[in-house]
Amino acid sequence: MDCERPAEDHGTRQNGGAGEGGEAAGAESEGDRERSREPRVNISLVGGTPLLWRAGDIRRVREEDGVVGALVGSLARQPRQNVRLGRPLEILQEEASLLLERGRAAVQHTHNQEDEESHVKAVEAYQSRLEHSYEEQCVLALEDKKAVLQRVMNAKQNDHTCDEGTEQAMRERLSSLQKGFTLPRSAMAVQLCTARAGFGHCPEEAAFLAADWPMPRDERSETRFRVYRDLRGRGFYLTAAGKFGGDYLVYPGDPLRFHAHFIALCLSMVEQLPLCDVLAVARLGSNVKKTVLLCSPRDSGVEGEVVYSSLQWSGMV
Amino acid sequence: MATKQAHAEAARAERSEELLSPSELFHARSRSHKIPVRGQKEFLPTGSEQQKTHLQKSLQEHWTLVAEERVERLGNLVNAEWIPEEKLVKLQSPAGKFWQTMGFSHCGKQCLLPEEALYLMECGNVQVFYQDLPLSIQEGYERFLSPETVTLHQYQVFGHLKRLGYVVNRFDPSTVPSLYERQLNLPLSRDRQNKQLKRKRSHSPGSRSCEKQTSIPQEDTAVGPCEDVLTGEPHQTIQSKKEQDEPMDSGSHVDRAPERNWWTAASSQSRSMTGLPAALPWDFRLISFPDLGSSRAARTCLAAPDPELLPGALQVGECKMASWLTKLNLKEEKLSRRERERQRERDRYKRSVNDDREVRRCTNWAEYLELMKKRRRQRCKERPAHLWEKDVTPLSQPGLCTSHRELLEEVSIIQSSHLLEEASKLPQLDQWRIIFNVYQPDTVADFKKSHPGNPYTRMCVCSFDGPVPDLRVMKQLSFQSADIPVTFAVVDHGDISFYCFKEFKLPSDFY
Repeated sequence: MDCERPAEDHGTRQNGGAGEGGEAAGAESEGDRERSREPRVNISLVGGTPLLWRAGDIRRVREEDGVVGALVGSLARQPRQNVRLGRPLEILQEEASLLLERGRAAVQHTHNQEDEESHVKAVEAYQSRLEHSYEEQCVLALEDKKAVLQRVMNAKQNDHTCDEGTEQAMRERLSSLQKGFTLPRSAMAVQLCTARAGFGHCPEEAAFLAADWPMPRDERSETRFRVYRDLRGRGFYLTAAGKFGGDYLVYPGDPLRFHAHFIALCLSMVEQLPLCDVLAVARLGSNVKKTVLLCSPRDSGVEGEVVYSSLQWSGMV
Repeated sequence: MATKQAHAEAARAERSEELLSPSELFHARSRSHKIPVRGQKEFLPTGSEQQKTHLQKSLQEHWTLVAEERVERLGNLVNAEWIPEEKLVKLQSPAGKFWQTMGFSHCGKQCLLPEEALYLMECGNVQVFYQDLPLSIQEGYERFLSPETVTLHQYQVFGHLKRLGYVVNRFDPSTVPSLYERQLNLPLSRDRQNKQLKRKRSHSPGSRSCEKQTSIPQEDTAVGPCEDVLTGEPHQTIQSKKEQDEPMDSGSHVDRAPERNWWTAASSQSRSMTGLPAALPWDFRLISFPDLGSSRAARTCLAAPDPELLPGALQVGECKMASWLTKLNLKEEKLSRRERERQRERDRYKRSVNDDREVRRCTNWAEYLELMKKRRRQRCKERPAHLWEKDVTPLSQPGLCTSHRELLEEVSIIQSSHLLEEASKLPQLDQWRIIFNVYQPDTVADFKKSHPGNPYTRMCVCSFDGPVPDLRVMKQLSFQSADIPVTFAVVDHGDISFYCFKEFKLPSDFY
């Protein structure tokens, strides 16, 4: 949070900073300049799929941009189950495009070629951190054991069941513990990092990869992006809807608490949809009790509006 | 204590500092291992306080779970090193329980495939180092997953199945037994399995030097060459001839709605098919098989073989069978009483086919079937003129067919086919390939990596963005997979659905 941002980076963020600065001043204790200096969210690309790794990033994009995504990794607490998954968060291509467009995110380089010297320093830093951690844990383990012993002693004293002999024995145990206890190295607790440690905070790195979005923009992804942006702008939460036969599932509130209302299908204005496809998707929608939305952006420029049509099954009796 | 810890972790994660302090590491042992259950969802956001608090509570639980880092005892971790040149992970300390179903040995060291190593990293069993620094899960994903090893979608399917308890390993087409071996019910030989493990190494040039040191024979034993000669039916040999497919009807601009084809690779264009049944190599009419079994055999003489077939200056004359036959056991069978009774029954009511003189004149099956057909036709000689004298004649006659199935075959214009027909001649597909073998979870206890047996299914990974597998793809993959069904795992943004296609034959006979 203390890193200085270079001048050009601050320049590109002007529009975003100015808009957000107003709201931020009241809510946050940090000043406006601090807010616009917030490090950007890191998007990591694996095989063309955008992933978010840091828990902080995932929370920020959900709270501030309404990007929900899907967790696709093993959950740290219980890795051998499929009910609840953990990091990384896989986001839609459209969500990544939106975040980049707004300047809220930057694509992270996968293999940085660091030089020999910095690598050696990194290894030394890692080793020393490990040693420090071990020493601290030894101390903590000793205190823990002493606390346990003390509790037992107090309990026995309160019971008035012990005599001088056992009390003496316990005090001896306490002192021997003090002198001879070592935590075995294999009992040390070690962290297995989920996200890459270190990089991403350094502003030079972030600025370096600014517009590194490798995705091709053909007509279909353009259509999808415009629909996404419009729906998101109206305050809906969107997730992928492949298993419902559509493009997006549209939620009125956070998907954690609310059911989806719509299945959105993105079509260009001139695209012809076979009638049997319309029937299929309408029937699917009525089976899952969601309204089907056919969404098409009007071709009037980049900021054109999007037209929505809903499908409702009506009976003529 | 546990919740305070969790909150502290979540708060720190907010500030994007994800490294735990030693005291947090130490106290992580008292973390809860339970996952809170998600409650019922609501339909409409009303903005009420109750909804807000519910949402906040759910979100807080969610962030706690998401932000939690993996903390393990150093003694429980197996150390390993990532070797990017070979795209393998080599273990540096002995493997744990996972060794029963994952990994392989290579040059005396225990190794893991990249997807196995990544899964074990996520489970907190293995710590992989690269250049003396431990890799984070993110770096694991970025370094281990690539089109040459396993893609992200394929890894997601792998992880999903492993978390459910299945045993999953990489598919190697060379380990699938051929049709002939399956007909003989040959067990998978050890050489085969070792070849599979060897094949995993053969990607990299550096490993070639290791292959010379092993004592396992490199060459195939008798199993190898035989299968090439006797694969499938001898009539359809592997001589290939190029034959053009009919080009797809993409040129006609009929006013119809276009087909869905949003996938970018337009590789569903016409492709040339290879393969055509060549002429029969042997003419069975010229090859005579002498009758050495009947009573006349003693008098037969086998002619001398063609000198062109004999090596060198060998000369072989005629062969008199009498002396050879004395060596055969021509004793009459002594039937038990029951067998004699059975024989008498047979003689009374059944007539042997061989008593028929015309049948004896037939020298092979084809001639026999011709004779039967001729006889049937003679039986129904009356043919009404209004049916038979016109341009269009009936496809069959009454009495010509003896079962529904035969009749349907006579009148059928479109022949039914089965899935694997001519599948061996299809060229290799590059977009679609079987990637994993999946074994049932209940076999884990006695699973042996050297003799895994037949998998439960084989997995092919695709996504909703790509094309649906067409008949050619299914034929090709089913052929590659031999008798094991192929399942398609469709990955859509973290959600995985499994589909499989089953061949179904319409019944054609009624009993």
